[in-house]
Amino acid sequence: MTEQGKIAEQVRMCAACPKMCRHVCPTFFAWRSDAPTPHGRALLLHQEITGLRNIDERGVEVLYQCLECSHCLTWCKPEIDIASLVENKRCDLVKSGRQPSGVNRLANFVKETHNPFGEKHSKRNDWLKTGSLNGPKIIYFSGCTAAYREKSIAQDTISILEYLGYSVAITPDEWCCGSPLFRTGDTATGLKQASHNVEVLNDINAEEIIVTCPGCYRALTKDYPENGFELDKPVQHISEFLNRLVDKLPQGDTNGSVTFHDPCHLGRHSGVYDAPRAVIERISGNPIVEMERNRENAMCCGNGAGLRTLFPEHAKMIGSERVRQALNINANCIVTSCPFCKEMLEAQSERRVAVFDLPEFVMQGIESRNVKTD
Amino acid sequence: MLDSNTRKKASDKLRKIVGSEYITMHETDRILNAHDAWPLSEAKIRAGEMLPLADFVVFPGSAEEISKVLVVANELKIPVTPVGGGAGTCGGTLPIYGGIQLDLKRLNKIGEIDHDSMLIRAQAGVVGIDLEEEVNRHGYTTGHTPTSLRASNIGGFIATRSGGSMSSLYGKIEDLTLGLQVVLPNGSIVETKAVPRHSVGPDLRQLFIGSEGTLGVITEATLRLFPKPEKRRFRSFSFPDVHSGIEAIRKIFRVGIIPSVARLYDPEDAALTFSMNFEFDEGHCMLLLAFDGATERVDLDDNESTRICIEEGGTNQGEGPSKRWWEHRYDMYYPTRLTTAGYAIGDTIDIVATYDKLENVYHSMKKDMEAEDAVVMSHFSHMYQNGGSIYMIFFTSQPDAETAWNTYKRIWDAGIAACHREGGTMSHQHGVGLSRSSYTEDELGSGFGVLKKIKDALDPNGIMNPGKLGLGVRG
Ligand SMILES: Cc1cc2nc3c(=O)[nH]c(=O)nc-3n(C[C@H](O)[C@H](O)[C@H](O)COP(=O)(O)OP(=O)(O)OC[C@H]3O[C@@H](n4cnc5c(N)ncnc54)[C@H](O)[C@@H]3O)c2cc1C
Ligand code: SF4
Ligand code: SF4
Repeated sequence: MTEQGKIAEQVRMCAACPKMCRHVCPTFFAWRSDAPTPHGRALLLHQEITGLRNIDERGVEVLYQCLECSHCLTWCKPEIDIASLVENKRCDLVKSGRQPSGVNRLANFVKETHNPFGEKHSKRNDWLKTGSLNGPKIIYFSGCTAAYREKSIAQDTISILEYLGYSVAITPDEWCCGSPLFRTGDTATGLKQASHNVEVLNDINAEEIIVTCPGCYRALTKDYPENGFELDKPVQHISEFLNRLVDKLPQGDTNGSVTFHDPCHLGRHSGVYDAPRAVIERISGNPIVEMERNRENAMCCGNGAGLRTLFPEHAKMIGSERVRQALNINANCIVTSCPFCKEMLEAQSERRVAVFDLPEFVMQGIESRNVKTD
Repeated sequence: MLDSNTRKKASDKLRKIVGSEYITMHETDRILNAHDAWPLSEAKIRAGEMLPLADFVVFPGSAEEISKVLVVANELKIPVTPVGGGAGTCGGTLPIYGGIQLDLKRLNKIGEIDHDSMLIRAQAGVVGIDLEEEVNRHGYTTGHTPTSLRASNIGGFIATRSGGSMSSLYGKIEDLTLGLQVVLPNGSIVETKAVPRHSVGPDLRQLFIGSEGTLGVITEATLRLFPKPEKRRFRSFSFPDVHSGIEAIRKIFRVGIIPSVARLYDPEDAALTFSMNFEFDEGHCMLLLAFDGATERVDLDDNESTRICIEEGGTNQGEGPSKRWWEHRYDMYYPTRLTTAGYAIGDTIDIVATYDKLENVYHSMKKDMEAEDAVVMSHFSHMYQNGGSIYMIFFTSQPDAETAWNTYKRIWDAGIAACHREGGTMSHQHGVGLSRSSYTEDELGSGFGVLKKIKDALDPNGIMNPGKLGLGVRG
């Protein structure tokens, strides 16, 4: 069967599914309508493929409301991957110039400033402090959110890596990894970032590349090689890297209850579930208290695939719900392993629960050797 | 569809009531919200057909807003189709005469649990699974376990008199609902008090339970809770034929045992559902039982039921098939390549009858439906002291759309005729909606006139879900 044939078969099945996974779709949660749902999105695609009806402007919006969190896939027995189907369609929409204006703005910022926020490139990482030049050299690719919005994640990452005996290379030539562009359908602009970053990173002599953002992780380990851009050193997410060296991290002894929020790009999209948990348990000295929805069944934080830019209020509702899920199990502290998730969850926590990204949590452990979370 | 003048007037008024954000006229929204899970709608969607659309989809946020919407609808004589989870199987939410689809999903608040009375109040738009998970956190279950729990809403459950797979023990939603808030077509908001029993005239609550949006809009309900059972035990038996299996079930109930699950799969359904994972004689039926409660009680019920089953010719298959069914009960509803290919279509006629008629209904329906080119497999799904329900599941695949939709209709006609002829009732839990609407008068007989008079009294302009439940059908 051709690729097009396979897509047609999948959307045909899904378009008329009796809504078997809708209960976990975060955009259904936020809008409470059958439009922004997995089967709703499939129905739009199906009607276009059968020639019944083209996707109109509202249809484009419904497709761009998808967080590409793949939570629906966890609940889909026929394994229909709405996130990929939506992303494919977004690529077509961008090619024909029909994407929402917010997506254009984002792409223009990346083209002009190499980050999606429109911040000055010169300020990307000139503020980051590195210390020791001894030890094996590794590159830290901070990504845009840690560079401009969640700076302590970037600085703590460097401090931890140095604590573990590495010398950390950061490059002023780092550009946005392209993830927001790949996810919103602007592959061409995304690949320009890929091409630049691969050249820059391959030029640096180092053992491996560490990322803290799961969006960067997925871009560097999947989108780049799938499109012919090969990095010449391994890429590790900070959670995996720290898990490898977990014995060198301080063994904590805390009495607060800590839960872990699985980022979609790290968990469902990259299959990394155990590493961050092992690191957190080492630092806290206690088993993680799991939220009811965890691992493959974790709810998205609402900050993915441009939703917060395009529909901020609905994105925040999703973030608040995730915080509520942590409060349901009386967590004192949510740790995640994604600057994006951290930003959203912290903003929605209203100080009822502490929110940390993994490097921040680990750094606290190193600094205090006795993390207090309550 | 409405004329443009009425549409404009309605749009202005509705916008003022719910706010512009909560009303949509976009064709895309009207398409994506149009259908429920009626297999005919699903098959038509797959075949690339367009379903009937509303003029507006309105998402009210409170009973007060609904009241105002209904006043406007009455004034302008606009059809109103309530939408719950949109997972009904009878086309109940299809806006066949256009007008307003009144989608209740924003009414999603869950109240505090009353631990003394074991009750909870919830709004109509709360999704079943969200309520169940919330009460589970406090050690309770609602006892309502339909396989649409993840998709359907409290209001939809009540509006269709739905039943969970454990209704033998816990009851159907009409037994589980103690109090109701309903908005009548004239906009008045009516409460029926939550009391365990009463003796103050007919039970008005029951008038709205199962009214499928034709008499008003259910906005809130007070539901019963049960402590989560200490123990749930599964048990399975194979039987050489349907008769011996039914006899075993009948005798289990007769000695006073109330299993939470009692399901008997006929040879075709048993082969399809269990033969991949379990070894049992070809052509045999499979009985699934479950017992909920305190361990000692469960032991007693299990032992006595086992004795009865063996006496009736059953072979003990352990917990396997029953437990597997429970753990995989959602699986059969997912689309598959086979069931969605070409012009394939299937459905379930969930009839109910007393024991004296049950087997005749089963055999007659099966024979007559098979004569119309249907593959039929069945299980006796929800059993009680006096009788029970059968899921008459059928499937047909035809070369083109027209033949498929016609064959589908003929199978239904044949099945319902046989059911009525043998003294069965055409639905135990799915309701009537559009798929059974034309059979309602036959089903209710002399009672239909009473239903019609009630409808005319409460909804003189016939705005509420016209065309469903045999009411307000337009020429
Ligand atoms: C996969 C699957 C499994 C199923 N399993 C079961 C099962 O085990 N047991 C069972 O009983 N049913 C089952 N059903 C059928 C169906 O889900 C139920 O009948 C359910 O009660 C419908 O609820 P809903 O919220 O989806 O209602 P909808 O489809 O939204 O509406 C159903 C009808 O009720 C009306 N209505 C909805 N809400 C209101 C309201 N608040 N006030 C007034 N009228 C209203 C609508 O106008 C419509 O006529 C299943 C369906 C599916 C798709
Ligand atoms: S993604 Fe799978 S489960 Fe969800 S609606 Fe589509 S077919 Fe159904
Ligand atoms: S990927 Fe996430 S947001 Fe998109 S349809 Fe699936 S569950 Fe919903």
